[in-house]
Amino acid sequence: MKGKGKGKDSTDSKECPLQFPDFTPTEHTRVCPRFTAVLQRTEEIGVGLEDIDALQLEIETLLVSVTKRQKQLDQEMKVLISWQEKKTPGKLQPESTGKRSRPDEGKPTKRFKDASGKAHPLTGGGRPKKNFQSQAKFQEYEFSDSPVELSRLPKNDAPNRFWASIEPYCAEVTQDNIKVLEDLIKTHEEDAEYYKIPTLGKHYSLKWAQEDMVEEQKEGAKTNDKRRGLSNNSSLNSTDAEKILKKVDKEYESDDTSPFGALTQRLVSCLIEENLMASLEDSMVDTDSKDNIDDSSSPNPGKGGFIRSLNIGNTTQLEKRIRQELKEQGILELDDVTTENPEDEVLAELRKCQAELKSVTTQNILHAKHLLHQAKEEMKKQELRKKLLIIDTEVMEVYKKMASARQKKKIPTKKEKDQAWKVLKERENVLKQLDS
Amino acid sequence: MQKDTDSAVIQEKLKELYHLIHQCQEERNRSEHNLTNIAKTHERMQHEQKLSPYYKTKLRGLYNTAMQDAECEAELLRKALDVIAEVRTIRNERRLAAKKSERPKETIRRGALMKMLQQNALTLPLWIPKDDEKPPPLCGAVPAEPNYVAKAGDMVASLVKGPDGDENWILAEVITYNHNTNKYEIDDIDEEQKERHVLSRRRVVPLPLMRANPETNPDALFPKGALVMALYPQTTCFYRAVIHEIPEAVKEDYQVLFEDSSYTEGYSPPLSVAQRYVISCKESRKK
Repeated sequence: MKGKGKGKDSTDSKECPLQFPDFTPTEHTRVCPRFTAVLQRTEEIGVGLEDIDALQLEIETLLVSVTKRQKQLDQEMKVLISWQEKKTPGKLQPESTGKRSRPDEGKPTKRFKDASGKAHPLTGGGRPKKNFQSQAKFQEYEFSDSPVELSRLPKNDAPNRFWASIEPYCAEVTQDNIKVLEDLIKTHEEDAEYYKIPTLGKHYSLKWAQEDMVEEQKEGAKTNDKRRGLSNNSSLNSTDAEKILKKVDKEYESDDTSPFGALTQRLVSCLIEENLMASLEDSMVDTDSKDNIDDSSSPNPGKGGFIRSLNIGNTTQLEKRIRQELKEQGILELDDVTTENPEDEVLAELRKCQAELKSVTTQNILHAKHLLHQAKEEMKKQELRKKLLIIDTEVMEVYKKMASARQKKKIPTKKEKDQAWKVLKERENVLKQLDS
Repeated sequence: MQKDTDSAVIQEKLKELYHLIHQCQEERNRSEHNLTNIAKTHERMQHEQKLSPYYKTKLRGLYNTAMQDAECEAELLRKALDVIAEVRTIRNERRLAAKKSERPKETIRRGALMKMLQQNALTLPLWIPKDDEKPPPLCGAVPAEPNYVAKAGDMVASLVKGPDGDENWILAEVITYNHNTNKYEIDDIDEEQKERHVLSRRRVVPLPLMRANPETNPDALFPKGALVMALYPQTTCFYRAVIHEIPEAVKEDYQVLFEDSSYTEGYSPPLSVAQRYVISCKESRKK
């Protein structure tokens, strides 16, 4: 039982498709009390009408178990037959009994009983291996000649392809895998850039107008240069352009919407309202303020003029300063600092996208970390398994030594015994670690 | 007279049952030997870590014997069950005949009636497939064939108009079926209301004639979440319900949630109802 024979056997047992199901029959004394009771009765007593309900249920239970057994047997039988038939010629597997018995399938079992009872002449249980194999070879030739065998030969590599596709999912976890995971987590650390909100730039209409102007100016300069060859005009042109730009600016400002920021507006309106509420007489006297109200509350064309009349150059600057001031005064909370213009669609969109990105990345990080954790655990287990494999071979070696010693009727020395114990204990330890 | 011959027949049947049970046990004893042999062989094969063709052949032989034994045993058990079923039909026929002849019989108390219904449900024959048969109609959730006609004495659910005009699905028993008018004559199982109803077949749903085994034929059960009509426990009326849990073993019942507006969720807590008293929901509700 060594060398080639052994190797083949081990693969054999791995391939064994049999389930070895438990066919132990149902214990009727335990499961079916009424059934058992009836069995013990004499014929005169027999079965009463009152028994049939219980009996029915118990017999049903028995029948279910029998049909289950039939099914299992049928399945195992099929497995057994197909297994015996499926052996590829290269395997040197003695097929003789399997093939021979195939035609007998339908026939009564008596023959099988004989075979099992008397030990089939071709395949005695305790027969020496050598003889066995030569026999097998002989049989093999016989079969490769038979047309049945040939017709079954077309190879089906679907299983191989299937297993190849599965392979990556079952492969061992490597250091590379862990590195990929770690990198994946790291990449998220550089996400901060995506959460920045850039400061509000100039309105695109302004920007475009300016760009258009500059362009036209250049064009104009070129033509001018060509035509007159004078450089004076170009400078004139540029001042012209500035003028026009300013005009555009003003036009923009004179738009219905106030150029002032939210805080400025709020602040001013606060002051005005209070004035108004103070007393009617006051307001009558204070015509200036009244005019102011009228101007700002009604969207008449005078509004733009009024704002311009205030002559406040940079409204955004003003807004910033007010904010700064309010913050210093402690009126404005820090949270409020971030309150933005609610009408800013771009900002809202940006916020929304950022929120989405955030939830996605947190999920990703979470999963990546989970995976990383599991991969690391698996690595540890792999190490242990490798160790176990080594120890297993050691155990086998020791066992072989002992066995051969026993064959030679030698008593194993203390040293050998100690070694055996040591290896076994090591193995147990590793197993424990694996379990925990 | 009829009664005497019937009971003689029953006695005969019971005797047959007695012998069948003994035969079953003999068969079981016989096959047990072979099965232990298989177990031993299994053990040895696993122990050896090596499967010589000798073992394979041996196993095949053992399996073949075991299969034949199992077949014999199954046949005997089926015979025994058939005998039991026959006894039941004889008794049922006798009961029906008695009901016909002398109508006002002693009324069964409600508690006894409920117990009887439970027992009926429990002893509904179990359908045990031979080979790979598909469950037949009226086994578990499998509906009856379209032109099926319930036999006299069969239990049905029937949509009956009550005295105050509202319609209810009640548990009833078929008396006759008139093939000309396509109408059933049925009897309310709750004998307190002693009146017979004549209903068109659309208003009559036969109850399952067999239980399905959840272990072997889960496909013959209503799936979880299915809308059904089920007999409300301790009543003889069917109400709309949703399957909450399906039975896992032969003797278990469904757990169903009845539509009940008196609960905040609109459903009752899970109640158990036997396979026999759960039928598929007729979509046509009273309008």
